[in-house]
Amino acid sequence: MDTHLSEDELILHYYGETDRADHARVESHLGSCAECQFAHEKLRRVMTLVDSASPVEAPPAFERTAWARLEPALPPSRSALRWTSSVFWFPQWALAGGVAALVLAAFMAGRFTGGESPVATSPSAAVAEVERGRVLQTAVGEHLDRTQMMLVELANADVDGADVLASEQGRAEDLVAANRVIRQSALQSGDAQVVDILEDLERVLLEIANAPANATSNDLTDLQSRITREDLLFRLRVIASEMRQQNQNDREAGDPTLRRMPRS
Amino acid sequence: MDERDPSIVAKARDGDRDAFRTLVEMHSRYVYSLAHRMTGNAQDAEDVVQEAWLKAHKQLSRFEARADFRTWLHRITVNCSIDLIRARRHREDAHDPLDLEQGPLSERGAEVQATPERMTASAQISDRVNEALGLLTALERAAFTLRHVEGMSIEEVGAKLGMKTSATKHSIFRAVKKMRAALEPFAQS
Repeated sequence: MDTHLSEDELILHYYGETDRADHARVESHLGSCAECQFAHEKLRRVMTLVDSASPVEAPPAFERTAWARLEPALPPSRSALRWTSSVFWFPQWALAGGVAALVLAAFMAGRFTGGESPVATSPSAAVAEVERGRVLQTAVGEHLDRTQMMLVELANADVDGADVLASEQGRAEDLVAANRVIRQSALQSGDAQVVDILEDLERVLLEIANAPANATSNDLTDLQSRITREDLLFRLRVIASEMRQQNQNDREAGDPTLRRMPRS
Repeated sequence: MDERDPSIVAKARDGDRDAFRTLVEMHSRYVYSLAHRMTGNAQDAEDVVQEAWLKAHKQLSRFEARADFRTWLHRITVNCSIDLIRARRHREDAHDPLDLEQGPLSERGAEVQATPERMTASAQISDRVNEALGLLTALERAAFTLRHVEGMSIEEVGAKLGMKTSATKHSIFRAVKKMRAALEPFAQS
């Protein structure tokens, strides 16, 4: 009798993916070897068990929470977009470029390089540190949210409205400043995944910030293609989501000052 | 409301936000289950649901009225799950939740010492299968799900995951072996 079939061969046979060159040998052996037939039957039973399992159910009322989370991320109508760009963003934008960048720098310097070893502090200093951590945590989260929202708006902008690029330039310049601070800190801490996405973001943000005054619909289309091609929005959401999860874990652990950026 | 009512999709495609909300509320549980099966955890599943709906919203104008909306959404969800898994793929090498060497699920602790009799209820079987799926790495899980559940060929799975066919095969082999080690004690009857 020839050699028994390996587990890999049984798996390939189960899925009907045996190589053509091996097909006759495998079929012939399986037809005559009780031991391999038994092994094949055991595999089939396990796979049947897998097939019989019900999928994991969503939490109660998930459909409503899904909408509540989704709706703010959907692109606004053009009229709402204009209002948002001209009124809502300006004050935050002014903050983001100056104070927030400094705050981020201070935060990142402390978080990335000194977070591993807790330092003995007085109770009042510890409370102050906790509060500082919360403020800075919010600043980083807001930077990611602001970047995400701008990219969502641009990715969904009507290509006939190339003027949307010009209207976003000030916002992009400020985001570049904050982005650089975070990226440098992430670089120092060796957070490769964060560095990757921040580098890609920075290139796009610079492209927006430096867009010519007479940008055409082709420029906007190119930018939209790039956002899609590089999966920027999704990657950004992954990072933001991991940060949220990390922050949640830290809150549950009762020490937000030890929060760190997601590790790669 | 009829899930297959084409007028809801048509209205959503025309920019009716309420109609789109109806679609979200009708299909999100299904999308979540699919995303959870692909990614293996609740947080990732929620992120995939969000991303899938954003993509669906953006691409709705390209949806053909004669097609089945859920089938279209299913495809988007699978692709979003794969995107997420690929984005995190580099972590795979450093983080494998459990190895085969740790033995089958049935040998780990009192919680999994269920007798075959206790395993007859379908809910328990589902729990056990989902626990077994939890033993797979993200990549193994994705490869296994695409091959076993979505019915793609190994070559197609490799193309989806950006892997060579040989590497895809080995991911599926490892996944099936882990599933087998974990579930064989419960698959005797």
